[in-house]
Amino acid sequence: MGAMADRLGANLVALADTRDFGAWMASEQKRIFLLCRRMLQDFEDADAATQDTFLKAWQSLNNPKTKELDDPAKWITRIAINTCLDRLRSKRWHFWRKRPGAEDEAGILGMAASSDPDAEDRLFAKEIDRRLKQAVEKLSLRQRAAFTLRHYEDHSLAEIAEILDLDVGTVKAHLFRATEKLREELHDLYFHRGRK
Amino acid sequence: MKHWTENDFQNWLYGLKEEDQHVAECADCRAEMERLQVERRRVTEEPEVSPDFLAAQRRAIYQRLEEGPSRNWAAWRWVLSSAMLLAIFFGLAIPRWHKAAPPISDDQLFRDLSAMEQSAEPKAIAPMHNLFEQ
Repeated sequence: MGAMADRLGANLVALADTRDFGAWMASEQKRIFLLCRRMLQDFEDADAATQDTFLKAWQSLNNPKTKELDDPAKWITRIAINTCLDRLRSKRWHFWRKRPGAEDEAGILGMAASSDPDAEDRLFAKEIDRRLKQAVEKLSLRQRAAFTLRHYEDHSLAEIAEILDLDVGTVKAHLFRATEKLREELHDLYFHRGRK
Repeated sequence: MKHWTENDFQNWLYGLKEEDQHVAECADCRAEMERLQVERRRVTEEPEVSPDFLAAQRRAIYQRLEEGPSRNWAAWRWVLSSAMLLAIFFGLAIPRWHKAAPPISDDQLFRDLSAMEQSAEPKAIAPMHNLFEQ
């Protein structure tokens, strides 16, 4: 945190609470970046969306109209999800864009050391994860957001409803449709080894 | 009581099915629920992100913060695109509207042509005749 705070430019130090903001950003940055990457399925877009998210947060925090935040983590998650949804909506027009290859990300993202010693299992899980990511692209934007928040971030339905500004019943309907569309991939993910 | 099916477990995992009396009492089903939770945590384990990349991203954010309130390029792009489309639309459509002549039937055209042919003097003379009429 100290090193991060030292990086603050001279102009920024003059701004109230900048150091607090910097420390908070550093603590949330990785989670928000991964959330954006899972939502957008594109490394460069996720990088830009993460930057946009924290810029919006900063602008909002400096707006006197902003109310006190009960849960900053949930608040920044909501900003990130909305930023990603905006990008996905505008991306529909960018069909000519070339997607960067997986090797472009290899130097930046590495799988965490798994506790599972079985290499074959890891390989299988990686393959299912790849299939799941492909299948997620078939989901509608709201289904994708609800599924990402549940599957990767383990949010409750009530939390997802709050983040997406929907009622719990609607979130449930989105999740139901999402899991129906991903049924084959999810089945292989969870039941490939059969019940013990 | 019947054990939960794979479908039931999957729905429960995604918050679509509540725990019931059966799973509260069935050791097998509870064990399966625990296995599935462990499995999901394992497959959704966060990848490592290079600290250099995160540091560069923070520098980019600070850089943009220093630049002041963000210029909303995306919004401006839409405004400019819309203005250009409108300009193109009016540029093409308005001259056509002005130039559009009333439709004339083939019969009318032949009548006009034969009238011109049978007339001894050109049509343009008619206004001059009007000048001398008392």
